[in-house]
Amino acid sequence: MIRILSRMSALALVLGAMTAQAQGADDHDQALIERGAYLARAGDCVACHTAPDGDDFAGGLAIESPFGAIYSTNITPDPDAGIGRYSEAEFAAALRKGKRADGANLYPAMPYPSYARLTDDDLHALYVYFMQGVAPNDHQPQQTDLSFPFNQRWGISAWNWLFADQQPFEPNEQDSDRVNRGRYLVEGLGHCGSCHTPRGIFQQEKALGDDDGDDYLAGANLNGWLAPGLRGGGEDHLGVAGWQAQDIVDYLATGRNAHSAVTGEMTSVIENSTSHMSREDLAAMAAYLKTLPVSDSTDIGSERRISEQKTDQTEQQLRDATALDEGARLYLDNCNACHFADGRGGSGVFPALVGNSQVNADNPTGLLHTMLAGAQLPSTSERPEALMMPGFGWRLSDKEMADLATFVRQGWGNQGSPVTPEDVKKVRNSMDAREGFSGNPEATGANHPDDRAGASAQ
Amino acid sequence: MASDPDDMKRRDFMRRSLLTIPAVSLGSSLAFDAYADNGAPALSDYQPMFFEAQEWQFILAATDRLIPRDEHGPGALEAHVPVFIDKELAGGYGRAEDWYMQGPFHVDAPAALGYQLPHTPADIYRLGIAATRRYCQQRFNRDFVTLSHEDQESVLSALEQGRPDFARLGVDDLPSATFFSFLLQNTKEGFLADPIYGGNRHMVGWKMLGFTGARASFREWVDQYDRDYPLGPVSLSGERG
Repeated sequence: MIRILSRMSALALVLGAMTAQAQGADDHDQALIERGAYLARAGDCVACHTAPDGDDFAGGLAIESPFGAIYSTNITPDPDAGIGRYSEAEFAAALRKGKRADGANLYPAMPYPSYARLTDDDLHALYVYFMQGVAPNDHQPQQTDLSFPFNQRWGISAWNWLFADQQPFEPNEQDSDRVNRGRYLVEGLGHCGSCHTPRGIFQQEKALGDDDGDDYLAGANLNGWLAPGLRGGGEDHLGVAGWQAQDIVDYLATGRNAHSAVTGEMTSVIENSTSHMSREDLAAMAAYLKTLPVSDSTDIGSERRISEQKTDQTEQQLRDATALDEGARLYLDNCNACHFADGRGGSGVFPALVGNSQVNADNPTGLLHTMLAGAQLPSTSERPEALMMPGFGWRLSDKEMADLATFVRQGWGNQGSPVTPEDVKKVRNSMDAREGFSGNPEATGANHPDDRAGASAQ
Repeated sequence: MASDPDDMKRRDFMRRSLLTIPAVSLGSSLAFDAYADNGAPALSDYQPMFFEAQEWQFILAATDRLIPRDEHGPGALEAHVPVFIDKELAGGYGRAEDWYMQGPFHVDAPAALGYQLPHTPADIYRLGIAATRRYCQQRFNRDFVTLSHEDQESVLSALEQGRPDFARLGVDDLPSATFFSFLLQNTKEGFLADPIYGGNRHMVGWKMLGFTGARASFREWVDQYDRDYPLGPVSLSGERG
């Protein structure tokens, strides 16, 4: 009986497959396009290949490099402005080897040393997506025009020969499928090392994978911000190393977790890329990061252990509120409502300051930038509320900001160095210039309540 | 009394602030220096945006009577209440920007129906001050600002009770008690609102009450019993007291 049933269902399956065959080809393409779209998310192509207020993938974003601004290109399938005339082989050469269709070298702002890891299958899916799933756009972005010698693209060949020798991904047989999947995503499309691996004097990433040395994902300085070390091995360490795998998944999916909340460049990475990835893939990435042992070169902010005793001391000082120095008083006036006297914030809402990598970073720029201008969490499908920290630049002078930052960097056992008013002034000025930031307590005029309704009785 | 040094300082302050208002000879147990400004602009340097010169003098004198400086601390003038009211009336509130201001209007509507007059708050002040000044001319043959404190207070009390008939003084549809209630309400607001709005200068109102200001959380105080809160206030702009 069972056998008859299974035969019948097998027959039904064959018949069904025959009638659905014509449609099957379309389904196959559609599935391939969707997979390519997912992979493009994982690679965060849109982040660089879209200008502010520009159309997706139409290029034109200025990427700051030590040599000048490099403008991203149009990667829509427009035949003239974009990559519409690229064959799949040419597309693959661009992604893996940094070769344009005309043979010229791409600048390594394009993370082809990482994308070299891509499997043929994934490359094919990406190609199909960019050719069929993206609308052509004839926008001609600004051309990159670096000064001599950096305008000599042929010179990059030597750089490539020295530093970009990555091979397509090979799974490591000792590791689980999950860890291998995570390594593939982190080293390849995720190109996490672009920011989180320190660079050498030739602007090359010092390691392109974990088999390439302890510098891989050991943390780096990115325009003054700490891109913290992501090496997560061990248990009782700070930073990502102190996080459970689930904390890493939560952070990548929503920009927030039990310890921290995202600020700086990573905000857009989460918004545009990782929050669109599947939980399985994020868990794979987390599992892989947790296999990387923390090494001496791992920069997770500073000292790895927070003294519980000092944490209690600072909390008691703030609770008591009778022996407050300037920084502690400013903390109560400005920060305490959300980050609290224990400096631990609120899980999934307010980041902890105790042991926070940005707070403890050798360079206080990231912390000061956040204190001056505030920060806003990305809205993700899982956690749509874009919680915001207001900026305090309009409220606090350079001296007050320095006292407050010093308190936060040294309270609760944190190990950051003191901050000077000159440090604050420098960050404030750079923000003035680059972002039209006008936060300045001296410029604050007295407002008045324009929006009051009839509060006065008749 | 006139030779009292504290009073001399006070006299000097009043003269600078009020120009035409005679200095008062009110003894105070508190040294004026306790509320001296830290070099910030004085009230006399403020250029009103809404009030005309005569109206401004009226507001200075009237708010000084509503919250006079006394043994509890500074008054409306030290708190820059007139600045608050001027800014308020020059802005959207003065124009009744988000009030329903179409008819029908009912001057005699019961209070439960809310505001039913045809006047914006700015109009209420402009018309109310003019009518009150006329009232003072009729009753005392003098301008409000030149009256003694006692007479000024009697005028304000009369307004509060709605006794002056503004309609007879050339201002229709405005009960004098309504004008007074706006004046009193806005004076209190100017004394207690955040300094960012022009009044409550150096948080004098908050310090008098022991209010802690714009410090957003007191979570760690919930379980600390029988302890006085030790911190002075903080304002929205970060000024600390």
